[in-house]
Amino acid sequence: MLLFQGLVGLTEAMYLWLVAAGLSLIFGVMRVLNFAHGSLYMLGAYLTYAALRVDGGSFWIALLIGPLLVAAVGWVLEFGFLRRVYRVDEAFQLLLTFAFVLIFDDLVKLVFGPVYQSPPTPKGLSGAVSVAGSILPVYHLFILGVGAAVGVGLWLLLERTRFGLIIRATAADREMARALGVRSSRLFTGVFIFGAWLAGLGGALSIPVRAISPGMGELIIIEAFVVVVLGGLGSLRARFSEQW
Amino acid sequence: MTTRSGTTRRGFLKASAFALAGLGIAPRALAAPKLNLKKPIKIGCQTILSGPLGGYGEFMRKGALLAMEEINAQGGIGGSPIEVNFRDEELKVDVGVKNARYFVDDWGADFLIGIDSSAVALAVGEIMPSLNRILIVTHGATEKYNEDLVYKKKIRQCFRISVPVYQDGIASAMVAKDFPVKKWATISPDYEYGKTSWKMFRATLKALKPDVEFVGESFAKFGTVDFSSHISKVMATGAEAIFSTEWGGEAVTMVKQAKLFKVFDQTKAFMCPMGAAMDVLQGLGPDYPDGAWASGRYYFLYPESAENRRFVEAFRKKWNSYPSYVSETSYAALYAIKKAVEKAKTLDIDHVIEALEGLEVSRPAGPCVIRKEDHQAVYTVPWGRIRHDPKYPMPILGDLRVIPADEYYRKPPFPPLEA
Repeated sequence: MLLFQGLVGLTEAMYLWLVAAGLSLIFGVMRVLNFAHGSLYMLGAYLTYAALRVDGGSFWIALLIGPLLVAAVGWVLEFGFLRRVYRVDEAFQLLLTFAFVLIFDDLVKLVFGPVYQSPPTPKGLSGAVSVAGSILPVYHLFILGVGAAVGVGLWLLLERTRFGLIIRATAADREMARALGVRSSRLFTGVFIFGAWLAGLGGALSIPVRAISPGMGELIIIEAFVVVVLGGLGSLRARFSEQW
Repeated sequence: MTTRSGTTRRGFLKASAFALAGLGIAPRALAAPKLNLKKPIKIGCQTILSGPLGGYGEFMRKGALLAMEEINAQGGIGGSPIEVNFRDEELKVDVGVKNARYFVDDWGADFLIGIDSSAVALAVGEIMPSLNRILIVTHGATEKYNEDLVYKKKIRQCFRISVPVYQDGIASAMVAKDFPVKKWATISPDYEYGKTSWKMFRATLKALKPDVEFVGESFAKFGTVDFSSHISKVMATGAEAIFSTEWGGEAVTMVKQAKLFKVFDQTKAFMCPMGAAMDVLQGLGPDYPDGAWASGRYYFLYPESAENRRFVEAFRKKWNSYPSYVSETSYAALYAIKKAVEKAKTLDIDHVIEALEGLEVSRPAGPCVIRKEDHQAVYTVPWGRIRHDPKYPMPILGDLRVIPADEYYRKPPFPPLEA
């Protein structure tokens, strides 16, 4: 039973880990505390839901489109706004990102209405299996799988690719990386877009099992900050294990 | 110049009123007695307007605005238009108390309505004598509000127009006693409302059916987005039926996740007292399991009266949505104020309180009396089972169980609960 509850808890933490991973990545590289990161999770849920309605109900296509749309929003946020406050006091970054929390909350209320939405669980994932005498939904297993896959993917990206090398170098010593020719503005945009995509993915995956509502981002951002701080601000590897 | 044109307009209105009266279609607007009260009469409404339960407040706001529009079109209260202002209660005691003080001290409210959280209703209720205003609660359901605050502590300024937890904890048990179920468990909110309804449900059901057992309980804190661990904990107890007072978006999430955990296949009954609220019906949509037992504090298809149909149509016309129960209760609160003030013919609080005591309010939810002893509105709300009907864009209730309010409301002197 304890083992089973652990497994259930781990799936609950997976959504959080997707949000926290992006949040931590962005802080580690850019030194920006992105309060609006929870809103990107919320946007992931809403935009995936919208895509689901447009594409006629295919969860898989929506799952692909939704987080990509959030990544695009991330690009606009970084390129249009955040870029202008890198050099000023951190309080301004908080003000700016917090303003976006309020803007996005009201925006989804305007567009989608204040009511709860929730599409049905995708076909093929609505079943359940028996684990240690208890019932575990297939969707939870799917989430565990996705979480693990993203974890491994992130590790490979950071440890095995040139992009990852640049990210790690910049996170470790920004000035030195710049001196060695890393074009930080492009890197920052890339990292922010990737972080936004991760949050969007978390939101997208949540819609079959959690009611979509304005304000859902604020609930997760607090927990995500707790995770990021516990794992050590800016440290990436700690993040995954820190969930448990 | 202005005076002249004003007089002319009034003269014209008067003339047309006579003309209309002559034709036998005296509009209600002109039938309202002129009381020369202050203008406008201000009503402060606080409700949850943000966060994942914010959908609730939106429904309350819409009901109050519809009533305001109608009442003003009928000439207001005794000739004075009414104005309703809204503030976000956030379900926090300190915020609720601050809102009440703001409404009265800064905005100049004559009446307060609203409040979703039981804890907030109790806290704001306590300060009503010092604010010297009448509060009509339209949602917060704890029995401590009418039984302790009004009946025992004699705080006369407090009223409630919505059904208390008797609906959640007593009527539910009267329905549940017929189920072939012995082992019950709950997944409910970890605060006043969740605790008190579960206690009432256990006490009532035990008295009606002594061989029932209550095998498990899991209380989820406010803001829970994942009920998986609560569900698996409760299911491990071997419960045959689940009683859950989750509401709003949390009810939507909990039911969806319970469905994934095959709770509805493994149990014989599922009861959710707030499950027939419009936001839950809409939020779950086709995912709402058939046969789940649900209720609310008003259900839009009950009673089948002309007044109810007219309300539902007016609401749909204005908001393009079916009303939730908080829409009806806030709507009824404004009409209760209107009726009481026009009866008292003054805004003087003692007279309005007297007018409200024992007042019969005709409302969409059916005939209703505000009980004198505890200032609680007494009216009947049915229980029913979730059914999918292609005529409606959301699931509705079938198999209605109507227990008359007189039978399930606790009565003064409110003997202590034994559970």
